[in-house]
Amino acid sequence: MDFIACDILIPGKLIRFLEQYANVAYAGIRDRDLVPFGHRVSGWRVGADQRSITILFPDEFLPRLLESLQHNRELALTVEEFPSHETYQFKGHYLRHRGIEDGDFDIADRLRRRWVKSIRPIFADAPEDVLKGFVSPPSLAVDFEVLEIYLQTPGPGAGTRLVPPMER
Amino acid sequence: MPMTRLPSEIRPVLDSGTPAVMVTCSADGKPNTTVISQVYYVDETHAALSFQFFSKTIKNVRENPRAFVCVFEIAGQAHWALQLEFERSETEGPVFDAMDMQIEAIASMTGMSGIFKLRAADIYRVVSVERVQHQAWTSPTA
Repeated sequence: MDFIACDILIPGKLIRFLEQYANVAYAGIRDRDLVPFGHRVSGWRVGADQRSITILFPDEFLPRLLESLQHNRELALTVEEFPSHETYQFKGHYLRHRGIEDGDFDIADRLRRRWVKSIRPIFADAPEDVLKGFVSPPSLAVDFEVLEIYLQTPGPGAGTRLVPPMER
Repeated sequence: MPMTRLPSEIRPVLDSGTPAVMVTCSADGKPNTTVISQVYYVDETHAALSFQFFSKTIKNVRENPRAFVCVFEIAGQAHWALQLEFERSETEGPVFDAMDMQIEAIASMTGMSGIFKLRAADIYRVVSVERVQHQAWTSPTA
């Protein structure tokens, strides 16, 4: 089912989650043969319109990523706050892409610091650089319009569609 | 270069209990991404994933058997990209029992006791596997 983009707004609570608490994300795409593929994420930013998200991707498998997005536009983004495991999945359509700008490195660096802070209690003796290496520098920015948002926090409620709300 | 068999170097990564990420695709072409708690080594050409909830992931792989899994090697600053194909589901036997025990341990370590419960061990054939070294930072923020 297609949803009309203008009806979808990312709720304020989820914008705060994305911008202040979430510390790891992963994107999913698929090719023309319906073969899924995953991409690590170096950062994200909610668009001023509250309807789109810019995803920053590291330099891994980028030709395949762009070919798939330009072929079918389908994109899913799972974002988690570790260690609470609060998780949401944003599904939508590719809009456009661009090269990296100065501010994108700051976004990725903030994510890297948030990640290291969250995982430090588990890897108490690991060197800072090793933990920081989990988040790679960004190489590509992709804007996508959010059409659906799902709760993915582990438990029986996982998979519930939050936006647009499921019919009761 | 991608391989078609799971190399011995991946075993400690799979056994580490670090969460992995799985991507599937519905028959109508919508990808779905989710965090999974366990990727179990069955043999060189098969891995098992835990089926805990009746989720979109489970529905997708029954419609379209192809799946992608990313396993993180945090100490090595790398990850493993696995292309898989769903073969069958097991609800008893040695693989199921071993995964059930592991999942209880993971649940207990991550504060998810009572939430994680293994319904089945889903067995996947390995289509390809590739280790990807993470790029180092060279910008002023490094």
